[in-house]
Amino acid sequence: MFYNSSQKKCWTFENEDTLEKLRYEANQKYRNKMLASGKPTVNSLFLDAHEEDVLFRHYEKRLLDFCNAFKPVMPKSVVGTAIMYFRRFYLNNSLMEYHPRTIMLTCAYLSCKVDEFNVSSTQFVGNLVQENASGQERALEQILEYELLLIQQLNFHLVVHNPYRPMEGLLIDLKTRYPLLENPESLRKSADDFLTRASLTDIGLLFPPSQIAMTAIMNSASRAGLSMESYLTECLGLKDNKETLSKMYDAMRRIKSLMKRYELPKPDEVNACKVKLERIHAEFCTNTNMKRKRGYEDDDHVAKEPRMTEEEWTDEDLELDDL
Amino acid sequence: MDDQGCPRCKTTKYRNPSLKLMVNVCGHTLCESCVDMLFVRGSGNCVQCDTPLRKSNFRVQLFEDPTVDKEVEIRKKVLKIYNKRDFDFSSLREYNDYLEQVEEIVYNLTNNIEVERTKQIMEAYQRENRDVIQKNKAKLTREQEELEELLLLEQQDNEQRRLETLQEEQRQLQAKRKNKQALLDELERSHVPATILLAQHKDRATQLENQIEKQKQVVKTTIFSTGIPMGQTVLLQPVARIAEVLYSYKPIEINTYGPPVPELEQLGRLGYLNHVRAAQPQDMAGGYTSGLACHRAIQDAFSGLFPPLG
Repeated sequence: MFYNSSQKKCWTFENEDTLEKLRYEANQKYRNKMLASGKPTVNSLFLDAHEEDVLFRHYEKRLLDFCNAFKPVMPKSVVGTAIMYFRRFYLNNSLMEYHPRTIMLTCAYLSCKVDEFNVSSTQFVGNLVQENASGQERALEQILEYELLLIQQLNFHLVVHNPYRPMEGLLIDLKTRYPLLENPESLRKSADDFLTRASLTDIGLLFPPSQIAMTAIMNSASRAGLSMESYLTECLGLKDNKETLSKMYDAMRRIKSLMKRYELPKPDEVNACKVKLERIHAEFCTNTNMKRKRGYEDDDHVAKEPRMTEEEWTDEDLELDDL
Repeated sequence: MDDQGCPRCKTTKYRNPSLKLMVNVCGHTLCESCVDMLFVRGSGNCVQCDTPLRKSNFRVQLFEDPTVDKEVEIRKKVLKIYNKRDFDFSSLREYNDYLEQVEEIVYNLTNNIEVERTKQIMEAYQRENRDVIQKNKAKLTREQEELEELLLLEQQDNEQRRLETLQEEQRQLQAKRKNKQALLDELERSHVPATILLAQHKDRATQLENQIEKQKQVVKTTIFSTGIPMGQTVLLQPVARIAEVLYSYKPIEINTYGPPVPELEQLGRLGYLNHVRAAQPQDMAGGYTSGLACHRAIQDAFSGLFPPLG
């Protein structure tokens, strides 16, 4: 349950500034590492925090699209978990160090396993529809290579509490205890949308899932022109607890404002950042990658193809039909 | 130097370290060779006091003063007759008087004072107390037998223990020899460098030693026949009672940071179950009930719903 989970203990943060700071530190850490490695570099070569954010949002959207297009249909909680993994991973790591293209697939793959959505690895990479068989195999290889790293970076906290089940619970409770609301099912559609959009923001790292679900339902109700204030006061017993009530409203307001602030990154900006990212990865990351790869290859049987083929597998191959 | 010697042939212990001096009832010494020579016929008179003696009564002299030997001999004889014991008397006084009398007789006989009269007293006493003497004799022999039996048992025990240690030593010796032999064999056959083999051998040897040491230690920890190990002090005071605080159950307090969740059993009564999918018979087979899923959803919905105060 959430109140004694690792999510509450380790992955719920005070405010947005904390998250900003963590990401900034990850960025700085990578820069320092590269500068210390002695390669001739200039600071302008690196992505700054904003550029990283642009790319992060871009790849996160891609992850969401990939999951939504997944066959067999992926349950929402699996999608939510995958996105949460992605967010947690890049909280302490820089996009420049680990390419988000690989990490996002690894996140999705791991989330399928953890949330008991049973697909085989070949079935999984089969969803990379733009790839031919050998490309899929290469992708799978990379996924398996990064999987352990991902788990480690998640600090082995693999259980993610998504807001989807709390929303179901709230709907059941509404139907049972709140007859003033005539048709709670009508709220579901827009509340679901709300949660999906919320998953693309930092909300999951700042608020408990039940609060997010509550906000989704309240938001949905207010859009339908219904007031649910009496549910909070009467059914949840907040009538005499003004402080908690006001804090809840406060949290809901914060969630909504965070939602409003979200926007998809602009394509030209994304493309500019991508070029930069590819350059960085071509220049620095291959060697660290290679080093790891080589250790991996020592077992031989893995990765017999020459490494340069990795570059062949670019974003464009992965691009999905715009939905 | 007043060395002991035979009064007849004048040989002393100094000149002949293997000299064996003998004493007879009269309390005069003779060396073994003189005894053999003088008493060829089995009897004769003492060289010093002319007392008639028998060869079979000669004893090896145990004490430096031959009169002590004589006294021991006489005492033995007297006690055969005067064999009453303290519980044969009604009072301590009488017993003490009796002991006094015995001592007197022994002293008189040893020092040749009124020998005839003393002998008469003894004979008179023997006649008067024949029954008691016989009875005590029987009792005494029985006790003696028991004692002897005990001694025998102890001796057997010792013998057994000695044999065991002997066997143990033999076994250890054998093990060591075997080890040595194994080393030789290995040196002969194996292709491994000799140094390694030697090191292995040393290892094994030390192991063996340790084993033996351990066994010895095990044997050493002797215990009293009561089963209490030696060296352990036995506390005769009653063990102090330790007052322990009894465990008392405290229910876990869980703060869910949210509104209270209805109990699983009450979900149906409160009407929650009307709003969830009813469980199919095939679901129920595995122990699933619709209440479980419903309860979990509501728990998740309420857990952490209220922001923490302060």
